Amino acid sequence: MDTQRRRFLKSAAMAAAGSMVAANTDLISLPVMGADDTLPDGDGLTWSKAPCRFCGTGCHVQVGVEDGRIVAVAGDKHADVNKGLLCVKGYHVGGILYGEDRLTKPLLRKDGELVEIEWDEAIDIIAKRINKAPDRFAFYGSGQWTIPEGYAAQKLMKGGLSNNHIDPNARLCMASAVTGFLATYGVDEPAGCYADLDACNVLITWGNNPAEMHPVLFSRVTDRRSRGEEVKIIDISTRRTRTSDAANEYLEMKPHGDVAISLGIMHLLIENDSYDKAFVKNHCNFRGDEADTPTLTGEAISEEEFRKRIAKYTPEHVEELSGVPAEKIRMLADLFGNRDHLITSLWCMGMNQHTMGTAINSLVHGVHLLSGHFGRPGDAPTSLTGQPSACGTVREVGTLAHALPGGRVVAKPEHRSQCEGFWNLPEGRINPVPGYHTVKMFDQFTKPTAEGGDIDTLFVQVTNPGQTLPNLNKLFNDKQGMEDKFLIVSDVYPTATTQLADLILPAALWVEKNGIFGNSERRTQQWFKLVDPPGEARDDTWMTIAIAHRLFELGHEGMKDKDGDFLFAVKDDEGNEIPIWEFEHYYDVNVDKHLFEEYRPFTTMKHKNLAPYDEYVKARGMRWPVVEQSDGSWRETKFRFSGFDDPFVAEGKEFDFYHSNTEDGKAQIWFHEYQSPPEMPDKDFPYWLCTGRVLEHWHTGTMTRRVTQLNRAMPTSYVEMNMEDARDQNIRQGETVILESRRGTTELPVWIDGRGRPPRGTVFVPFFDETKLINNCTLDAHDPFSKQPDYKKCSVRVRKINDATPSQVAKSD
Amino acid sequence: MRYPKPDSEPKASTTQLHGISVEPVAATDAALPKSRQRTIPVFRPPGAIAEETFLAGCTRCSDCIDACPHDAIRKAPDRLAAIAGTPVLEADTAACMMCDDFPCIAACKPGVLTQSIPAVMGTALVTEHLCLAHHSTTCTVCSERCPVQGAIRVMDGKPTICEDVCTGCGVCRYVCPAPENAILLMPAFSRPPLPDGHTA
Repeated sequence: MDTQRRRFLKSAAMAAAGSMVAANTDLISLPVMGADDTLPDGDGLTWSKAPCRFCGTGCHVQVGVEDGRIVAVAGDKHADVNKGLLCVKGYHVGGILYGEDRLTKPLLRKDGELVEIEWDEAIDIIAKRINKAPDRFAFYGSGQWTIPEGYAAQKLMKGGLSNNHIDPNARLCMASAVTGFLATYGVDEPAGCYADLDACNVLITWGNNPAEMHPVLFSRVTDRRSRGEEVKIIDISTRRTRTSDAANEYLEMKPHGDVAISLGIMHLLIENDSYDKAFVKNHCNFRGDEADTPTLTGEAISEEEFRKRIAKYTPEHVEELSGVPAEKIRMLADLFGNRDHLITSLWCMGMNQHTMGTAINSLVHGVHLLSGHFGRPGDAPTSLTGQPSACGTVREVGTLAHALPGGRVVAKPEHRSQCEGFWNLPEGRINPVPGYHTVKMFDQFTKPTAEGGDIDTLFVQVTNPGQTLPNLNKLFNDKQGMEDKFLIVSDVYPTATTQLADLILPAALWVEKNGIFGNSERRTQQWFKLVDPPGEARDDTWMTIAIAHRLFELGHEGMKDKDGDFLFAVKDDEGNEIPIWEFEHYYDVNVDKHLFEEYRPFTTMKHKNLAPYDEYVKARGMRWPVVEQSDGSWRETKFRFSGFDDPFVAEGKEFDFYHSNTEDGKAQIWFHEYQSPPEMPDKDFPYWLCTGRVLEHWHTGTMTRRVTQLNRAMPTSYVEMNMEDARDQNIRQGETVILESRRGTTELPVWIDGRGRPPRGTVFVPFFDETKLINNCTLDAHDPFSKQPDYKKCSVRVRKINDATPSQVAKSD
Repeated sequence: MRYPKPDSEPKASTTQLHGISVEPVAATDAALPKSRQRTIPVFRPPGAIAEETFLAGCTRCSDCIDACPHDAIRKAPDRLAAIAGTPVLEADTAACMMCDDFPCIAACKPGVLTQSIPAVMGTALVTEHLCLAHHSTTCTVCSERCPVQGAIRVMDGKPTICEDVCTGCGVCRYVCPAPENAILLMPAFSRPPLPDGHTA
């Protein structure tokens, strides 16, 4: 038995014996592996690396496999992201493969009943539906798609079908972060990385609760504090959370208050003359919305004009708008005004799921740029992602309705022609008109054909829109009973989405397939298939390729490249095509590697250079741009645009925003006017509703709710209420109440003074529980640029279940 | 963490604790005074009186089991010989939720469960080296779900159990999501007899 395992069992023995020996740090009692590349195996147990399946943090785990089954999981000590630590979900990640109700056979709905069919028939049905009306087909994917999965889907749609109706659930998740980065730097994704968390002395969480949502990252900061380092945490939020508990300052704001606060900070930086004049002069321009049709590029405004526009956002006015006391706005401005501080801002859904999402993202970047808190380790505006490959797949491969791989867009002729070149396609193959974004896609799918609903076949992979779309009654549930609309869902378990599916495809999950994810800090991480999927579950990439090949057989011209070859042709050394569309031959070759190497050349245009696949096999991920050194090694980049680290900043330059929208190497400091939220509490619906997540469950809970320990720890969704609101309505702790909005209702138990404490007039509901669908209530209003809906604010009322008042809420139509 | 094998999912069994067999050894009376029977430490429902008198008075009628709204009380299995059929709690399967009105006690006709003594079934301990919160990662489950106010205190996010207040209900053990359960639960080794003036 190897020493690692012995240590493992020893810890179990200590637990049983009730030993309190914890002081000896050599006895690492949580499962942490000293994961060297030559990790000792033993007893038939083999250990392999893989990034965690869950969130965008991108922790690495060591997966212990015995007899074709995952039997152990441990934190990976050699992973830079988590250094051996995992969150509660991560320790249980192996368990998600083994829920009792895994889907193992394709299921077709016939006369309302789901019947088992063979894969050949399933692929044939899909291909024929697409072939009949290729432009009425839409592909809905995910930030949980691996990079090759997203790339294959992207190529099938845009390169093969000349159809741009492909969008990911990440539209609901971080689209506003993308538009914020694009508007500010001309290129997507954070300049900094997690190393900023190790260096900052001020951490500001903007509507963000990393203590629960990105706990491993948050612990990087709290650990520093417990070692005696001084790190001031300022939490700006609409409700008290576990992050607020750890914060030095908790600033409770009204919804949309973040917009006012960031304007207020910038106002004071200028008013106090404490902004970084040299940085602004050398590296920034000022930008405002065009008067008629605002775009992401905006129009130039002078510093004078910027001062004029921002003048009214005095601390007192900001207090009025945000509810945060003027003195606290001054405190924030003083922090930013002091260049000795190293300030890292973190945000995630709070700023992204926002009808002013693009604006608030740009404004927070603006605060950092104006104050010069940018580009030194610890000085960084950093957005986090909630999905493991929101960055890698959605943002980099560009699986969005308007995008092409490598930061390209379908609207630009030169971008289309570059992609046609890479893909060896005839000129003009790629459709120049952007497809439907998520909300529009589902609107068109659930709208009757006669009324102009022009999407009739929808393929959903790796996500659960039946639970996560806003305003479900409008955007999803209407599908029911529509004979001519066909919903195809690839998933690992039955979900709210498969309930309305016409064809269900059993998918391989996580280490049941090869994969590559890209996390929040630009880190690309690879893993190998370690165990077989159950039954006939298969890889999503394979499904896409099999459909493409069936279309090829049916004579669809788009499935051929310029030379008449199959779009996804993989040839062996002798030039013979390997039939990867037949599952028994899919693993004859590493399709992931093949697709990744095909994708790599796309990435250099935006300087997001990736290393060859084999380099990622060796590493615990690498942060792009990864460039080859003169000695043949590959070097990752921690701090983009900063001369001391970014290889694309010319020698001698301190900073260079080399994708600047203004083509002068400068970033844009935006001005946006404060706007009120689209729906506010009133007499009939007096509460703000905010939705979000909990620590124990990931997204819609389809994976984590099948892990006993996690489900026991958090068995049900709930509505968090303020104690005084509950008292006023005579609502007891634990009582089930009805939550109603203008769009729908759901029933939930009440939790007063629970994990979060909302202020009076606010309720909070997590969305993981498919038995209590809070998205019946949410609003589908979205940001005009990112098209990302606002799940964080709408108005609801709370009704006691025995209340005689009849519901006045009709299903919206 | 090592996951259980498919054929060894945690069942309603007390044979193992953290992989260590705790299968009780058959009791022998040889070394004991004739007057005292040896008892097996188990978790009894709330309000259970001293084990010897409890065993003497309990009719194995299952009324408390039927009364429990949380299905937390079950019959001790046959292999526990002397106590087979008596009501026990197994926190790994279902924990006592410490109801305000204790329907189990109300249902107990022989009165071996009684309101007259504190409802203390045992005590819990946080095994700190297994606890996620004691290892830099956020976890707040045990203190949130503990039904006894003041039984779990949280300092800097780290839980400790206040033994004077803890009733050993086992909710913390039931909900603990640590890779190795970080809650060690110990049954009360001696419980008070019926107070004077009460009869079983």
